[in-house]
Amino acid sequence: MSFNIPIGPQHPALKEPISLRMTVEGEVIRDVDIRLGYNHRGLEKLAEEKSWIQNIYLTERICGICSHSHATCYVQGVEKLMEIEPPKRGIYLRYLVSELERVHSHLLWLGIAGHEAGFDTFFMYTWRDREVVMDLLEMISGNRVHYAINTLGGVRRDLDEALRKKILEGIDVLKKRTEYYFKIGASEPTFVGRLAGVGKLSKELAMALCAVGPTARASGVTRDVRKDDPHAFYDEAPFDVATADTCDVLGRTVVRIKELFESYKIIEFILKALPPGPVAVKAPRKAKPNEVISRYEAPRGENIHYIKSNGSEKPERLKVRAPTLANYPATVEMLRDGFIADIPLIFAAIDPCICCAERTVELRNARTGEERTVLFSDLRRMANERARQLPGQRNVTWPF
Amino acid sequence: MTDLEKIEKAKLLLGDKLLEMTHPAPHRIFLTVARENLLAATALLKDRLDCWYLATISGVDKGDVYEIVYHYGDTNGTINVRTRVPKSDPRLPSTCAVIPGAILYERELQDMFGLVVEGLPDPRPLVMPDGWPAGNFPLRKDWAYERPAEIIPGGKK
Amino acid sequence: MFAKLVRWSRKKSPWILHLNSGACNACDIEIVAALTPRFDVERFGVLLKATPRHADVIVATGPVTRQLKDRIIRIYEQTPDPKFVVAVGACALSGCVYRGAYNILGGLDQVIPVTAYVPGCPARPDAIMDGIVKLLGTL
Repeated sequence: MSFNIPIGPQHPALKEPISLRMTVEGEVIRDVDIRLGYNHRGLEKLAEEKSWIQNIYLTERICGICSHSHATCYVQGVEKLMEIEPPKRGIYLRYLVSELERVHSHLLWLGIAGHEAGFDTFFMYTWRDREVVMDLLEMISGNRVHYAINTLGGVRRDLDEALRKKILEGIDVLKKRTEYYFKIGASEPTFVGRLAGVGKLSKELAMALCAVGPTARASGVTRDVRKDDPHAFYDEAPFDVATADTCDVLGRTVVRIKELFESYKIIEFILKALPPGPVAVKAPRKAKPNEVISRYEAPRGENIHYIKSNGSEKPERLKVRAPTLANYPATVEMLRDGFIADIPLIFAAIDPCICCAERTVELRNARTGEERTVLFSDLRRMANERARQLPGQRNVTWPF
Repeated sequence: MTDLEKIEKAKLLLGDKLLEMTHPAPHRIFLTVARENLLAATALLKDRLDCWYLATISGVDKGDVYEIVYHYGDTNGTINVRTRVPKSDPRLPSTCAVIPGAILYERELQDMFGLVVEGLPDPRPLVMPDGWPAGNFPLRKDWAYERPAEIIPGGKK
Repeated sequence: MFAKLVRWSRKKSPWILHLNSGACNACDIEIVAALTPRFDVERFGVLLKATPRHADVIVATGPVTRQLKDRIIRIYEQTPDPKFVVAVGACALSGCVYRGAYNILGGLDQVIPVTAYVPGCPARPDAIMDGIVKLLGTL
């Protein structure tokens, strides 16, 4: 006998309004149906009516956590269309902000993962550290989110020596704290036991369903746009691609923590090797008729923009594919044969770019049609109580 | 494999299915095939040229044809396969049998352009709201939107 | 006398419900950041609640998409009186950059009556706290 549980559109664990209808048998999920469209804003049609520069501010506001990634992906592509090359200092500053954004996004995710696993102290600690990065970004660009530091042909603001030293100090503080979290994660058996074995996605399925980002890298698929399709700067920076083999939420956590360390390395490289010079060149108003594909590694995965121009001041077509959309079919597979109580953790593990809003889960008895409302915080409490009683999971070790 | 090696191998694999090939920038290869040969070309590229990762499917309204481009990523750039679908006969075969991850992108094409993708395991609309009137396909060039007048509460009319 | 007690408790401890109507998430992350130790909105007695039936204040972000219009009206009706609505961010005020898109209805006040507006793109956590405190001052 199976029940249908609708989760959404407004939900505590899910950040964006999205509706999931689950068919369950007892506690085990048999099938998931995703209903998108609550967040569809008709951006691609709007972009055809705005000029090249106005579209930078439009693409920034596709997502609030990874706003710089969309703007950079767009600007990379349009610079290729207009055949202009930004100066080296401009490129370095642009990717400095990219890596700082990756740090802030991964710290945010660690906090959310801790919150979903019941580890609220971890949530408060990581978000306090995130404030260090937000202050640095505010000093560089003037705003905490939506930095608007990109322009066609380079960046809009410059760094002076005092700010450069401040960033290096901030990164030192963060490095010490991230090592502390790494130690906590490795030595806290309840945290590791809660995350291990949940949301399995095998390597073959990850490849067949075209998963991207840390979700795929935790299943052993070594794809990172920074290595595969390096644009202008990443072939000089020293870093490694972080992967894990465990194919579950624990692997995704490990991949993100490793990526934090790689980002610190890249930021230090940029600040030490920053060349002097101008930060932008002037861009023309029109672009020649051509088409370009721009790829960028956002914190959540690969971001791909396809831009086509027909010689005028406005784009003919701007197609954006955000990384979370590519991970949805993989999420359906991960949720299948899992427990209801694991839904918030599995869904949060793909780092969905959606917003936190608490809502309720309605259980509908398929036979009698009566409804029972369960608060999501109750579900989370039930999940954590069950996790405490799980035998045998405590022997799991931290995979390195 | 370098770009030129990939182009040679693609020409060899696809033979006369390949209508056109352009190389606008380093690491970007565009191949054009006809609609009837699309599934065969996709299967060949997946097996022999390591194109298992479909990044996205994009469509452009060009007046009397739709140009649908399938973007594949590999370890060294992208390979893109283009087909043209005439507006008088807007049908397209589904590649979900070869690449299961293509389902969401094809559903989006249906919503935005009004194409009919045949053989989809799940042909429901993806992003359009529930009450969206049928026959309105936003990304067609001849579709325009008139914004209704706004009500300013307690204020000037 | 009892009314005075109720009004005092409502003023000292408003419970909020967070509603995202199609936003880009920046304002929503700033609302959650207001709960973290740096800004700490819990010292005003504000708690983030799960269900509309427990909430006094609805804090909403985002330009309203067509799909969400009926759901927002339903959530507004499920919240018990007296209730207040705070629209956070430029999207909820008038649509921000999305004005004119085919799936957007404009600001939040096209759908439900709004009591307080907090501008910004995104609105800073300090601004959100300032908005809620000013709202409580008028009670």
